[in-house]
Amino acid sequence: MTSSYTEEKSDLSSNNGLAIINSKAPFSSNNGKDALDIALIFGSFEQKVSLFFQGDGVYQLIADQDGRLVSIKDYLKTFSAFEFYDIEDIYVCQQSLVNRQLDEKFHIDDVQVLPSVEFSSALNRHQHVLRF
Amino acid sequence: MKTLAVVVTTPPYSHLTTSALTYVEAALVAGINVIGVFFYQDGAMHANKDINIASDEYQAIEHWQQLHKQYQLPLHICITAAEKRGIACDSIDNDQVNKAFTVSGLGELVELTSKAARLVQF
Repeated sequence: MTSSYTEEKSDLSSNNGLAIINSKAPFSSNNGKDALDIALIFGSFEQKVSLFFQGDGVYQLIADQDGRLVSIKDYLKTFSAFEFYDIEDIYVCQQSLVNRQLDEKFHIDDVQVLPSVEFSSALNRHQHVLRF
Repeated sequence: MKTLAVVVTTPPYSHLTTSALTYVEAALVAGINVIGVFFYQDGAMHANKDINIASDEYQAIEHWQQLHKQYQLPLHICITAAEKRGIACDSIDNDQVNKAFTVSGLGELVELTSKAARLVQF
C-alpha cells in the first residue's frame, strides 16, 4: 500500500464522503433502486453522499418516465426527496447524454452536467466510491 | 491503522466472487484490519445455507466461513436483499441463515464506510 493510505482520514465529514455512481438504465435491473436505498440511508445518517450518473445511468434522470407502465415501482419519483435528505451534489456526465442524444431535461432540479474531465475530478474528491 | 471494508454484490456462484475472496484474504494476510464485509444485492445469497454448489466447483461460501473463523472477519448481509432472495431472516430460530453471517441493514454499511479508510466493492 502507498503511504497515502495511512494519511487518509476515515472521518467522512473531513472530505466529500461517499460517491455513488449510477451506470445502469432505470427499469432493466434493480441497480438504480439499490443505489437509491444506499443514498437515502447515508442521507438519513447525516453522512455526505454525492450521486454520479454516467453511461446508461443518465436515463434515470430523464423527465417524463413512468415505471408503472412496465409494472415497475417508480422509484425515480423518490429522487425529488433528495433535498430532504441533504443530498445536494448530483452530477451527470455530459458525454453520456450526448452519446444517447438526450436533452438536459431532468425530473429533478439542481443537477450539474459536467464534461468528462470535471466529472472525473468531482468523483476524485470523494473518499469512497460505490458503483451500481 | 489500515482499515478496509468490502462490499460484495456478486452471488456465490459468480467467478467475480473469487476475486473478492482472494483480495480479502490477501489483505488479512498482509495484516490489514478488514473491519467487515457487507453483502448487498446478489451478494446476500452467500448467507443462504441451503445453497449447494457442485463439489468440483469453487466453494465461495465455505471460503468466507473459513475467513470468518480464522480471522473473526465480520460478514454482514443486507436483510432487504436477503429476504428478496428467499432467505427468511425474521424468525428467531431461523436455520436458513448461515451462522457465519450477521443479518444487518444498510445502516451497517454506513457504519463500515465511516470507519474504513478504504471501501472496495466487488
